[in-house]
Amino acid sequence: MTGISVAGIQKRFGAYQALTSVSLEVRDSEFTVLLGPSGCGKSTLLRIIAGLEYADGGTIDIGQRRVNDLPPRLRRIAMVFQNYAVFPHMTIYDNVAFGLRTRKTPEAEVRTRVMRMAELMDIGAQLSKYSAQLSGGQRQRVAVARALVVEPEVLLMDEPLSNLDALLRLQMRAELKSLLQEFNTTTIYVTHDQVEAMSLADRIAVMNGGHIEQYGSPMQIYSRPATRFVGGFIGNPPMNFLLDDHHSYSRQVGLERPGKAHSLGIRPEDIQVYREMATQCWPVKVGVVECLGPMQQFTAELDHQMLRVTADPDLALHSGETLYLRPDPAKVCWYDGEGRMLPV
Amino acid sequence: MGLFRVQARAFEPTYPLLQGAEIAVGWYRLDGRVAVKPNPWLPYLLLGPAGIFVLVFFVYPFLQVFFLAFQDSAGQWSLENFRVMVDDFNFAPSLINTLMLCFAVVPVQICLALVMAMMISRVDRGRDTLLYIWTIPLGISDLAAGIIWLSILEQSGFFNSLLGYAGLIDQPLNWLNYQNPVALFFAVVVAEIWRATAIVLVILVAGVGLIPKEYNEAAEVFGAGTWRRFFTITLPLLRPSLQSALILRTLLAFEVFAVVLILGGIDLPVLMGESFKWQFEYRDAGVAATYAVVILGISIAFTLLFLWALRVPEEAQG
Ligand SMILES: Nc1ncnc2c1ncn2[C@@H]1O[C@H](COP(=O)(O)OP(=O)(O)O)[C@@H](O)[C@H]1O
Ligand SMILES: [Mg+2]
Repeated sequence: MTGISVAGIQKRFGAYQALTSVSLEVRDSEFTVLLGPSGCGKSTLLRIIAGLEYADGGTIDIGQRRVNDLPPRLRRIAMVFQNYAVFPHMTIYDNVAFGLRTRKTPEAEVRTRVMRMAELMDIGAQLSKYSAQLSGGQRQRVAVARALVVEPEVLLMDEPLSNLDALLRLQMRAELKSLLQEFNTTTIYVTHDQVEAMSLADRIAVMNGGHIEQYGSPMQIYSRPATRFVGGFIGNPPMNFLLDDHHSYSRQVGLERPGKAHSLGIRPEDIQVYREMATQCWPVKVGVVECLGPMQQFTAELDHQMLRVTADPDLALHSGETLYLRPDPAKVCWYDGEGRMLPV
Repeated sequence: MGLFRVQARAFEPTYPLLQGAEIAVGWYRLDGRVAVKPNPWLPYLLLGPAGIFVLVFFVYPFLQVFFLAFQDSAGQWSLENFRVMVDDFNFAPSLINTLMLCFAVVPVQICLALVMAMMISRVDRGRDTLLYIWTIPLGISDLAAGIIWLSILEQSGFFNSLLGYAGLIDQPLNWLNYQNPVALFFAVVVAEIWRATAIVLVILVAGVGLIPKEYNEAAEVFGAGTWRRFFTITLPLLRPSLQSALILRTLLAFEVFAVVLILGGIDLPVLMGESFKWQFEYRDAGVAATYAVVILGISIAFTLLFLWALRVPEEAQG
């Protein structure tokens, strides 16, 4: 049983507050993704959990063990680095065997385990080569093999796919997913790519400016963004926010509105599009129309506020015409003036 | 401002290169115009003066020394100079002393510099100050270094005073003469270590800085303690710098001269000192040049040895 429990972690670099009181619970064999824009402190948090960076405050427990003051090598973790950090002066075999040898594993066992891992990761033919002789994708596999071969209780990955080209990234993502399901290792995975996060995670922690905005399942994060930041960061295109402090728009479409509501959030695909005037609709002017194959997207102008809407590809849309929109009442989220979601 | 003007002019026909992705590549003047492509001969042109300098002041004298060593006074090819040199009673001691000094000094310097470089790499604040202080001896000429150590070790020097105060000796001892060859040898070793470890340190500090910190972090995460990280990660990755430092220091060690001259005078003959003596005391440029050729030969041999022993196979280069 190896959960990870992080509480009240703070980190300063000089005058810059990189992390402001971050707390995170990762359950045993759960796959948690830290997702957020570049510079929000994801790597810093991961490195603090790994022990490569010291926190200024807060506690870290790995499997009921307080690890705050333990060096990385005593934390029973493995890590995959963004640039792989495959040792250039060792063969791939020695790289994969590194963690086993430091743990004084008998050489015969090292051999069987490295071989098994190499076969699993499809790097068997590379074992006698050096890092410089491998492609980026192969290096990535070596880094993962080196981490998994020690059968760690906790696996930490810092943007492991971000240095691969798009196609390879897609393929490795699928492979990683099935591999890690098999290993059942508690994993924290850092990425700035929301698609990667959505497809891999059991739970996603969305970070922004050194704190966690929301921690929940991908579906929760997507359909019920806890803050405007989360709604605006996740989804392509992101959630629409309609300023509704006078209640006029919500009344127009017959929505119940919590008292302190400041703005209304609705995903582009949760808006019904009508060609004819219907009751309880927003009349809008169509702006830019983009056909994306399985669907089309258009911008709609509602009294100088811009909405992005997803529509059926068969619907003939023309820039400048007037359409009628109705948001799905069950999908609407409300946010207060500070951008926090309000309960309905 | 510059970028703005590049974009504003991007689609003007006079600047056909300034479109789309190409904005980032190529050579541009600050005003956004395409600059003239550099002349392919320019690098050679710029290297020319240095090349001529080396030819005139290095290769030419080198050839001259070579002719001096391998020709007799009549200008005929001969090994006469070598015979004279080998028959001289100071030749064997000077060769042995030079090699022994080198073997005593260089390994200690490398180890010391390694330790210092590792210490510096762990320091955050005050790192530069520490480095400056440790490299002060770099700025002192070997002659001055010899004089400094002479004032410490001579009969009325600081070392004897210190031992006297500590009650370890009754009267000042003479450390620096032929009656005490071991002490004399160690005096030179200590002075040389003090004087020339800094150059090794500078090379190694630069080398340590070139090793991406992820390698050490990865090793740490995968269970390697401090010593294991040093021996399996840092030291192997430092090999190119170690190689440079070793070659440089060994060559300089074979040319050891001023410090020995001042501390030991004629009591500790070394190759360079013999060369000097033949040139300026015996007025025999031929034998002096022959010593120089011997030093050169040993230097080349050791350089090749280090190049081979510490080579990094191409496939294992990061
Ligand atoms: N060693 C450091 N010294 C100073 N600032 C740092 C250091 N490491 C990270 N930072 C700063 O902390 C912030 C968070 O960095 P990081 O955790 O790497 O972000 P992310 O991984 O989310 O892109 C950044 O603004 C970065 O500049
Ligand atoms: Mg990062």
